Parts: sequence; C-alpha cells; structure tokens
Amino acid sequence: MKAESAARIVKLGLINFWRNRWLSFAATLIMTMTLLIISFFVVSTLAIGRTTDSIRERMDMSIYFNDTASAEQIADFQKDLASRTDVKQVKYVSKDDALAICKENPQCAKAIAFSDLNKNPLPRSLEIKASQPEKLQEIADYVKNSQYKTYVRSISYQQNQVTIERLIAITAFMREFGWVICSIFILISILVSLNTIGLTIFSRKDEIEIMRLVGANDAFIKVPFIIEGFLQGFLATIISMGGVWLGIAVLTPRIKHYLGETTTTRMIDFFFNHFAMMLFMELVVGVTIGMICSLISIRKHLKV
Amino acid sequence: MIDIIGLTKQYGSILAVDNLNLKINRGEFVFLVGPSGAGKSTFLKMLICEERPTAGKIIIAERDIVKLKMKELPFYRRKVGVVFQDFKLLPQKTVYENVAFALEVCDATMVDIENKVPKILDLVGMLKRRNNLPHELSGGERQRVSIARALIHNPKILIADEPTGNLDPVNAWEIVDLLEKINSLGTTVIFATHNKAIVDRLKKRVILIKGGKIVSDRLKGGYAI
Repeated sequence: MKAESAARIVKLGLINFWRNRWLSFAATLIMTMTLLIISFFVVSTLAIGRTTDSIRERMDMSIYFNDTASAEQIADFQKDLASRTDVKQVKYVSKDDALAICKENPQCAKAIAFSDLNKNPLPRSLEIKASQPEKLQEIADYVKNSQYKTYVRSISYQQNQVTIERLIAITAFMREFGWVICSIFILISILVSLNTIGLTIFSRKDEIEIMRLVGANDAFIKVPFIIEGFLQGFLATIISMGGVWLGIAVLTPRIKHYLGETTTTRMIDFFFNHFAMMLFMELVVGVTIGMICSLISIRKHLKV
Repeated sequence: MIDIIGLTKQYGSILAVDNLNLKINRGEFVFLVGPSGAGKSTFLKMLICEERPTAGKIIIAERDIVKLKMKELPFYRRKVGVVFQDFKLLPQKTVYENVAFALEVCDATMVDIENKVPKILDLVGMLKRRNNLPHELSGGERQRVSIARALIHNPKILIADEPTGNLDPVNAWEIVDLLEKINSLGTTVIFATHNKAIVDRLKKRVILIKGGKIVSDRLKGGYAI
C-alpha cells in the first residue's frame, strides 16, 4: 500500500470519528464504564486478596500456662510444638512481656489497674502461628491431649474458634471465587462494549455497502473503523483514569476516617507511584478492546 | 463480452433465477424488463458478485466471475459501474467527495483524482453542484452523481437497477438521455426498468424475464409483459 493511501485511510478514520461524534461519544462512554469496572474489580480483588492474606497471617492461638508449670516444662513444650510441620512459629511470652503488651491496650490496662501491681496476674503463654490457619484446630487438639495438658490453663483458639472458622471460610471463598466474579464482570462489560460498537457499525452498514460497491478493498473498509475503535479506547482510558483520580481525591478524605491515616496514605502512595504503569495497562486494555470489538463487528458486514 | 451460461439461483425452495442463458455484446444497450419478483434484481446482483449463483457461469472478458476470490472482488467491482434506484450516496460527503471516494479506495493519486472528478461531473452536468451535500440535491441530480461515481473508473459495463424508479418523468428522461450518451461512448449498458415509455421510445434490445427465465429477447423491442 502506498504511503498516500495509508495516510488517506488514517485521515478517513479520524474524519469518521468526528463526523459520527455522537455515536463515537456513546461508544467511548460505554468503554469508559468498561474500563472503570475492570479497574474497580481488579483493584478490589487484589485488595481483598491482600486483606485476606493479612487476616490469615494474623490468625494465631495462644496457650496460657498455670503458674505451677516450670520454665523448663514450658521450654520443652515449646520445642515439642516447634517440631511439628504444621506449626510455623512458637513464641514464648513471659509474665513481664504479657504485662507490657497489656499496658499498651487501654481496655486490658483498665482491667488490671485494680489488681496488686507487685503481683503480676497475667499468665505465661506460647503464641503459635500455624503454617495454615486451617491447622489451628489440629494443633489445639494436640495440646489438649498432650502430656503437658495439666499445665495448660486455657487455649485462646477455643474462645475464638467460631470467629476463626468463619474467617477461614470467608478468606477461602474470596481466594477461590474473587477472580471468578471479577472475570464474569469483566466479560459482561466487554460484551456490552462489543454490542455498542457493533450497533454503531451496524448503523453505518449502508456506508460499508457503498464502500464495497465502489471497489474498496477490505483494508480500506476495516482500518478506518479500527482507528475509530482505537480512538474510543484511547479516550475512554483518559476519561476513566481521570475518573479514578477524581474518585481518589474525593473519597480518600472520607475513607481516612474508617481505614486510618496509614492505610489511606499507603493507598494514595500506591496509586501515584504506580500511576504510569496503571495508565499504560489501561491504555493497552482499552485500545485492544476498542480495536478488537471494531474488527469483530465489521467482519460481519464484509461477507459477500 | 458477457456470456451467461445456465445461471441458476435458488433461495431454499424458491427458484429466483432458473437456468438463464444469455449473450450481451460489447457496446450494447440492453433493457431488462419483467414484473416484480421476476428475478431481475437477483440476476443483476449476481452480475456484480453481491450474490453467488447456485449453478452456472458468468463469463466476462473470458473470465468466470463466479469463481472470483474475495480479494479479487474489489478489482472486479472497479471495472463494473453500478447505479441504483436509491442512489446509494454517502450522505456526509459532498458531490465531489462522493465521486472522488470511488477513486480514493483504489489507491488513485491526488493528481489523478483532481484531474478526473471535475471532468466526469461535467459529463453528467453536476460540476456546478460539486460542493453540495446529497440532501441538498433533487432526485435527478442525485442519480447523476451516482452515475458519475459509477463512470469514474471508465467501466466497460454499466449496470442500472431501476435508475429512474424514484424520479419524476422529466428527471427520468434526463437520466435515460445521459445513459444513452454514455452508451454511445462505448460502454455496455444493462438497464432494468418498469418504465414502459422509456423502453418503447429507445427501441433497444429488450429482454423479458418472468419466473426467473428469459421469456423473450427482442432487438429494437417494446415493453410487453
């Protein structure tokens, strides 16, 4: 193809985009929605994944000892537990450590304020992190049946068992189905985009017929539509990224109250540090959807 | 020039064109007449490769166009001019752009376009309206633009599917005169029509199609169904 023809085709795409600006605008708007939905679900799924990881990470149990248990016995028990494959970490918390931790927590500090300060009421404990939260029950059962059970005053897992099991179920569900739900919504939004672009092209089927009639080759008919798809994707990316930017600017002062200063700042930093990458990724997705949807829609009208 | 052998088109159980055999010579002016649903339009669509026949051959310039590949079709269509009853002009393009577009799609240079388009617009009497949009023109003027577009590639064959169907008598005669003029310059014209007055006055070859078959084929004939 000659350079003059290539330039002519590109010019035709740009002119068509402008001449059919209302249709182009509608398609761009739908594409913007598509990109916003994709961004929202991908970011949410990533955020939920991170949160569930952090919840799972924080799931642990503590074994509290009677004051009758000797330091050696507790140390032996610690070694015994650490040797288990399903135990990730066992940390000894002395009476002093427990008091120090308690003082940091206002509720706990209030509770012990009336007790005799010369006599520390808090028990010694072992803090156990399992390799997987699902193993906590097994470990608790092991503790209850072990030779050290007479020194054990209580196990925190039993008190929080219902909450922990529910959290395990929720995090497992989010891990398994988060991406499935995300994919379904992305697919739906892509189909809506495809349908809109298909309709805009359908409304111009007479134009395509005339092009074929005067002997236009496939490239001459297809490429201007693909350029229009590219422009729709490109503009939709700019608008949706602007929307996300605006959303962050408006929403962060409000969510700061719920998520706390650190998390909110971390979120904003994440957005601005990764802005170029996000823009690039969205551009790739937007432009690809626009061009592929145009190509699929135009193919139907090119058959003899 | 055009040799049609055993041309058949079937849509399900309906036989639109039934074993049609026909020869049209170079430079001929042929009227195609027949009642609605006789198969005229299907026949013309097969001539411009918009429909593929169920069976038969269409030999043009020693080539069976039925066997043309998809990528060859644009080149064939550039050699055959087509004029429709509903003009089929691009509504957002001016008269000049509509005609130039037919050249743009086949890699013509700007110099070539600027040279050819005014000449062809002058031939059809539309040079003065070159900057008007189709909706600013009368039916007759639109058909002239459509003819200009069909002629821009210097086609050897011009197919007109009821080109006067949407026009008043005065405009219709102007279009017929124009097509006759084009024919006198050497282009083969195939003219499908229902207009008895036009067929009777021109005294050209008349092919009558009924039920997908050629019922009569007369030189210097009149309109009879």
